[in-house]
Amino acid sequence: MNNDIKPPRWADNLLSLFCKEEIYEIIQGDLYETYFRNLKKHNKSKADRLYVTEVLQSLRPRLVKKIEGTQKLNNYGMFKNYLKIAWRNLSKYKMYSSIKIGGFSIGIAAFLLILLFVQDELSYDKRYEHGERIYRVISVNNDPVDFGMGTSFPAQIGQALGDNFPELEKVGRLIPYDWFNAGSNQFRVEDNLQSNYEEGFAYADQDLLEILEIPMVYGDRKSALSKPNSIVISKKKSDKYFPNQDPVGQTIFLNEDETEPIFIGGVMEDFPSNSHIQFDFFITLTGEEFWPGEQTNWCCWNYSPYVRTAPGTNSKELEEKLLLIRDNYIVKHAIESGSADVEETKKHFAFYLQPVGDIHLRSENIHDVVARGNIKVVWLFMAIAVFILLLACINFINLSTAKSSNRAKEVGLRKVIGSFRNNLVQQFLTESILYSVISVVIGIGLAALFLPYFNVISDKALVLPWTEWFVIPLLIGFIVFIGLIAGIYPAFYLSAFKPIDALRGSISRGSKSSKLRSVMVVFQFTTSIVLIVGALIVYRQMEYILNKDLGYDKEQVIMLQGTNTLDGKLLTFKEELLKLSEVKNAAFSNYLPVAGTKRDGNTFYKDGRDKIDRGVGAQRWTVDQDYVKTMGMRILEGRDFSDRASDSSAIIINETMAKKLNLENPVGEKIMNWETWHVIGVVEDFHFDNMKGGIRSLSMVRGSQGSIIAVKVDTKDMASLLESITKTWDGFMPNQPIRYTFLDESYARMYEDVKRTGNVFTIFAVLAVIVACLGLFGLSAFMTEQRSKEISIRKVLGASFQVIFQMLTLDFLKMVVISLILAIPIGWYLMSGWLNDFEYRTDITWHLFAIAGMVVLSIAFITVSFESIKASVVNPVKGLRSE
Amino acid sequence: MKDTNLGAFEELVLLAVGSLDENAYGVAIKDALESQSGRAPSIGALHSALYRLEDKGYLKSTEGGATTERGGRRKKFYALSGTGKEALVRAHELRMAFSHKIPGLNFNMD
Repeated sequence: MNNDIKPPRWADNLLSLFCKEEIYEIIQGDLYETYFRNLKKHNKSKADRLYVTEVLQSLRPRLVKKIEGTQKLNNYGMFKNYLKIAWRNLSKYKMYSSIKIGGFSIGIAAFLLILLFVQDELSYDKRYEHGERIYRVISVNNDPVDFGMGTSFPAQIGQALGDNFPELEKVGRLIPYDWFNAGSNQFRVEDNLQSNYEEGFAYADQDLLEILEIPMVYGDRKSALSKPNSIVISKKKSDKYFPNQDPVGQTIFLNEDETEPIFIGGVMEDFPSNSHIQFDFFITLTGEEFWPGEQTNWCCWNYSPYVRTAPGTNSKELEEKLLLIRDNYIVKHAIESGSADVEETKKHFAFYLQPVGDIHLRSENIHDVVARGNIKVVWLFMAIAVFILLLACINFINLSTAKSSNRAKEVGLRKVIGSFRNNLVQQFLTESILYSVISVVIGIGLAALFLPYFNVISDKALVLPWTEWFVIPLLIGFIVFIGLIAGIYPAFYLSAFKPIDALRGSISRGSKSSKLRSVMVVFQFTTSIVLIVGALIVYRQMEYILNKDLGYDKEQVIMLQGTNTLDGKLLTFKEELLKLSEVKNAAFSNYLPVAGTKRDGNTFYKDGRDKIDRGVGAQRWTVDQDYVKTMGMRILEGRDFSDRASDSSAIIINETMAKKLNLENPVGEKIMNWETWHVIGVVEDFHFDNMKGGIRSLSMVRGSQGSIIAVKVDTKDMASLLESITKTWDGFMPNQPIRYTFLDESYARMYEDVKRTGNVFTIFAVLAVIVACLGLFGLSAFMTEQRSKEISIRKVLGASFQVIFQMLTLDFLKMVVISLILAIPIGWYLMSGWLNDFEYRTDITWHLFAIAGMVVLSIAFITVSFESIKASVVNPVKGLRSE
Repeated sequence: MKDTNLGAFEELVLLAVGSLDENAYGVAIKDALESQSGRAPSIGALHSALYRLEDKGYLKSTEGGATTERGGRRKKFYALSGTGKEALVRAHELRMAFSHKIPGLNFNMD
């Protein structure tokens, strides 16, 4: 009996590893007994050896643990039981179960749709092989008052960048706006008669094709644009005009200009929907000079440069080095042209290299041609989706804990039989995962069902990625995750019941738990109210935008496009149009107050002061003399254009411009850009940008060319009027189909993103309310059930219908009122933030919140009263009878 | 099942258990076997056989008797069941029946 002498440890461990549980102790006891006996006869090492021998000889099949032991079998069996019980519970309380599952499914469907949207937005421009080295060069004006960033540079920027900076592997310029042949043109293949209107033209350097890694169908990316007068067209257009052929080398004409034939240098793949640029035609900049000296003059900023840096280049350091260009070229030009902006430029001008992947979502401060997405919106939507999912989880938690008394007996019994708390937790988690599985399946079904509608609203082409490799594991992970999150609190809550309380039946809703439940209900309704208010405000702003006095009249104005090909016949055509009785006025111009028409930014000075003053940046629109009348703009001072010869140097400015130029009495004053003009009138400010910005300075000069005719009509039968106009047009241009849009429609399209935001808000507000009400319904049903005895007794004692009803509904309505009070500051804060983006906006008024509150209150009221009414009219006997 | 095929070793084990009356546990059975036959099985082999015999129903077992010598580990005591006794008797009869048929083999110890 030596306590410190023991058989070798490792042999013991080996035995414990292999030996069957039930025989292990016994065999080991025998082995120990033998060991100590041996110690008396032999020395320790011999005894040890004998012991080891015995151990090894005990490793016999009959004595060794089964690998698929009863342990495993036990677990498997338990899960089967859990699932069975879970299913029975589900079926027994069909209403509650369907509320839980319904809410979950809706939440999951919403979450999935938003996820697809967010993922699409985040995927823009991420597929470049060298994406981390591709940048767009942006100009930065660090003036604290006038901060802005722009995408345009003078023509020579390409050469300046390429020559001076070895870190830039490639430099390529793009002209994406309506300028010369960029924008839209009449497109005609040589030897064809038909000339078609096409959009999506841009000018590009040959190197741009390589920088943006544009895949080519025909032709070589390295040389498709290297020859002058070449063009690269997209596959879509190639299929349209040259079906099933390689069109490289063929000639086309733009705008019927046969003196400038253009030949096809290559065909590129269509740009994917998640690319920040979407062009169908790239006209080469090789050998292009838009006017003599244009390519080296740093006066005019029309080119957007893209670069690819050498590996290892630090973009921030490079930005510093680029200031060389500012000093050697930009400032130099400013000094040479005597501009007063030299000091400003030296102080405030800087470069920013924008990574290509950031262009779609992070260009808020950059003055760009195309409306970009916004990373803030993406985060906002994601937040909304998470919230709705949260609401659904809250429903689950609330209903599970509320109904806990139903499971109390089961819990108590299981504990008595020997279940540990862990087992119970496992059981309830299994149940919630079961719900999760069902809800996810239904949720996916709902998402698939509503995806087409969502695509319409979000203006995308989203698809559910069934075939991606990560779908199945992701789904499983998601199901488990949701099940765990929703199920963990009820699992712990339910498994904590003391057996004796449970079996005695004294478990009832504790006041502690109902507080938590109330908090969650309040959270649900606050979220819903905030969303409803959000939707209302967005719609209000949309109304405001559509109906505000714009300073011109957008109703009943038809824009006929592509009229530049009329050439000399312009005036005749206009006269023909005016002959139609319903046509009130018509005017030529390329410039209209809606997006997508021409813009021309100039710098103006008071006459003679171009070297002294800071210039005023203003638009200069070339319009014909009927423009102001046609558009319904109002002249405040002076007069409109006339056909006087002297009016060829006349200019009309808007109020803002007059202020900026410090002209007290503008009429009669002279101003200049590179020519001198005399001001004949001041027009009332009108909106020509979207309402996010203020009204900028604008001037108008007289000119008679134009590719758009704005036709002001007054008709009740638009269709037949359009027929007449079309006939007139066809008389002049039989080979060019008429193209027109309506000014008010184009205007509305400028605010597509606002409309879209409004739609999304509405949808999610509705969903949130549905989910919250489902929860409320479940809870109220449950409360009523709990108190059925109480209600019956009260009725017997004489309570009237109203009293009972009041008793049941008041508590819930109180919660909704609290939600409303909480929602007011939150909603106010959030929506002010959104509205602040707009220079011109509606106000947030009290009655918006009142409306939202009323809506939610009444919906909640109806929801709760279903059960309450039922309870109030039921025969009291039913409640008091015991089963 | 009337499987009375007892292996030789199994039969010996049964006999040893029967001879020990009350105290038939692992080490004791091993000692008994050793003193009678001169050969001692390993503890593992012995327990394996005992396990099998109990499965077949020839032995019953109880547990208990932990001593400090064994480090507090309990013993498993075996005893012959009715069926076990029957099996032993039948086995003995079988041997006798055969041996009587062999001329010149005398089982009587003089």
